[in-house]
Amino acid sequence: MTAFGVAVRWVHLACGLGLVGLVTALLLAGRSDRPTALGWEARMLRWARGLVGLLLASGIAALAYQAAVVTGRAGAALDPVAWMALLGRSQFGTVWLVRHGLLLLLAALLLLREREQSAADRLAFRGQAWLLTALGAGAMAWAGHAAAVEPRGLAAALLDALHLVAAGAWFGALLPLAALARVASTEAGADARPYAVLAVRGFSRLALALMLLVIVTGSANAWFQVGSVPALAGTLYGWLLLLKIALLVPILLLARLNRGRLLPHLAGDGATVGRPAMARLGRFVAWEAALALLILLLTATLSLSPPAVHDSIRWPFAVRWSWEVAAQVPGGPPRVLIGTQVAFVGMLAMIVGLLVRSWRVVLVGAGGAALAVGLWVALPPLSVDAYPTTYRRPSVPYHAVSVASGAALYHAHCATCHGPMGRGDGAGGAGLLRPPADLTAPHTAEHTAGDMFWWLTHGIPAGGMPPFGGALGEEERWDLINFIRTLSAGERARQMTPLVQPNRPWLVAPDFTIAVGPAPPRNLKELRERFMVHLVFFTLPESRPRLVQLALAYNTLQATGAEVIAVPRGDGEHIIRRLGARPPVLFPVITDGAAEIVTSYALLSRALGPRELSARPGPPPHVEFLLDRQGYARARWLPGAPGRGWDDLQLLVDQILALEKETPSGPAPDEHVH
Amino acid sequence: MRLWRVILLVNLALGVGLLFGYLAWGREAVRLGQELEQARRQQVVAGSQRTWHSRGVVRAVLPELNVVVLTHEDLAGYMGSMTMGFRVHDPKLYEGLDIGDTVRFTLTGAPPNVEITAIAKDAP
Repeated sequence: MTAFGVAVRWVHLACGLGLVGLVTALLLAGRSDRPTALGWEARMLRWARGLVGLLLASGIAALAYQAAVVTGRAGAALDPVAWMALLGRSQFGTVWLVRHGLLLLLAALLLLREREQSAADRLAFRGQAWLLTALGAGAMAWAGHAAAVEPRGLAAALLDALHLVAAGAWFGALLPLAALARVASTEAGADARPYAVLAVRGFSRLALALMLLVIVTGSANAWFQVGSVPALAGTLYGWLLLLKIALLVPILLLARLNRGRLLPHLAGDGATVGRPAMARLGRFVAWEAALALLILLLTATLSLSPPAVHDSIRWPFAVRWSWEVAAQVPGGPPRVLIGTQVAFVGMLAMIVGLLVRSWRVVLVGAGGAALAVGLWVALPPLSVDAYPTTYRRPSVPYHAVSVASGAALYHAHCATCHGPMGRGDGAGGAGLLRPPADLTAPHTAEHTAGDMFWWLTHGIPAGGMPPFGGALGEEERWDLINFIRTLSAGERARQMTPLVQPNRPWLVAPDFTIAVGPAPPRNLKELRERFMVHLVFFTLPESRPRLVQLALAYNTLQATGAEVIAVPRGDGEHIIRRLGARPPVLFPVITDGAAEIVTSYALLSRALGPRELSARPGPPPHVEFLLDRQGYARARWLPGAPGRGWDDLQLLVDQILALEKETPSGPAPDEHVH
Repeated sequence: MRLWRVILLVNLALGVGLLFGYLAWGREAVRLGQELEQARRQQVVAGSQRTWHSRGVVRAVLPELNVVVLTHEDLAGYMGSMTMGFRVHDPKLYEGLDIGDTVRFTLTGAPPNVEITAIAKDAP
């Protein structure tokens, strides 16, 4: 089925782009009254009619295929109801209708068979045909991956449209020109040789500009659809794209050969120089066209593959390179800077050496050596071990339920060696070859979430860590990673104070579900950008005076832009009733799922006291957090800590107002661990 | 006729056709869409008497204002789920209600003049 889809798209794409190029070639070729030239033009018109017919037929096949894909049943491919639904209610359908309307107009124009009697006729006929083919080809962008790009969908689609038209004008003109070169290289077609020479020269000039346009717009498209080097190296989409670029290289080499070697000889003596050169040019150009058809096959496959940005990355190398890692190595940054500079100079020397004739060997040799030395100096501090899952995106969001379930799994499977607090001090780890890792240490730059996923799945044989891939499901492993992230963040959060550090968000507040009675539950994340959140963990009866204070100040807090959310610790049964009637407590009080939220935030509630080595301290009975509009926890108040606290409401309001004044500096936190 | 004139005329006809098509139906479609939206809004704001049946949890009973504050479910076509105070038709209705009770209630009126006409504890 997919093979059929790829084949249909290939034919459709090849015909659509081929038409753009064919009409471009017809526009480029000058006027001529030579019989061979007129014969070629008539032949090209016949080709164009055939291509339009094929294009319309493959368009209908593509519609049938899409109907089957969208409905999920093969029978829908021939079901008129499914066709009408697809045409009327999807973007694919709208684009299909517009494109095929344009193609019908083109077919009508090509079937006119009127004679061109003047230059104006010529320009009008061919210009109109070019406009219709280019619009038809460019509009394909709105039915492909480009139109789905967020947030700059229009820019991505316009760039893709430009890419399609430029590629069409370049590749599509190759076969018509090869045909012209072929007839003009025969003795019978010698009358059209000057005409062919002019046409080829004209195309050669245009092709250079088109090539640049194709490369620039193609790179932009690749950026939108791939987005990162790991995605390029570690997805099927990335590999196909690399293969596409690799196929472009022989085309460019052939083009350079044609331009540099054959083009100057075309106008030479007919029998000995001109005609043989013309014949070779025809063959080479036909080879280019064949390679271009392969590129289009890859493009058709790409259009049916999930774009790399949305696909799961499988990193193919045992090492990766990261500036953050080099920055932590002593002496790393200067080494990297010097190394890259040397490598850059070496590369520059090699390019210059390839461009100039004199000193070529010396420049290329010395440049190559400098490049090798530069990389030898720069790469080691940048390198860090990598695994196939290094860039895997977590499939479980950073949510309190996940963290709580990870906590339970941790105590069941990991605490024996890594210790109850994750400090690597468990009794079971004492006899191991390498001491178990301190999971609370900040090592986010060196290890990605995907690295941890790999270790959890396959273990670390050299260190004695067993694999858990068989014992724990994929979601459970991500739960554990979410827990370890909170654990590590909690270590840093011990220094948190009731005062907001301006413009320094770093602690992502784990998401949770706000469920109050029968009201439909919302996620904390849904409040982002709308409110700051004053998050209160309380225990009754100890927290009662504080809750009364907050209930009375609720209007003031809301007026400054903060929503109060209260989460009961311990027994949460009938919690709203137990809060009492006077004064009325009107802010949301979590009635369902509080235990998971408490477990997650307890990890972020530890105070900066003596380093509790192995004991698991219970979370404090009352703790409050202030979250900014982007979802970062920015300040924390533990009652009883030295210094002013938020029991002085003025201090709390000051913090809220300080956050309100900030302009968001970075992006909102990702919902997944990195 | 010369070919270029034919092409020019066909393009002109297409352009004029698209322009008239837009003027006749495109603008009409936009206008109809706006009217529909307006009608929907008016229906909510100044519509005739309507009734909503919903559930909620009692957050406060304020007899001095004759108001019950509820954290309630969505009220279709009126407001989403939120904590909100509602006037009560008869003070007898909230007798026996406690803070934290889950209740079923009936809201009647033409927004914004709505009041609770029935309220009862939900079966646990």
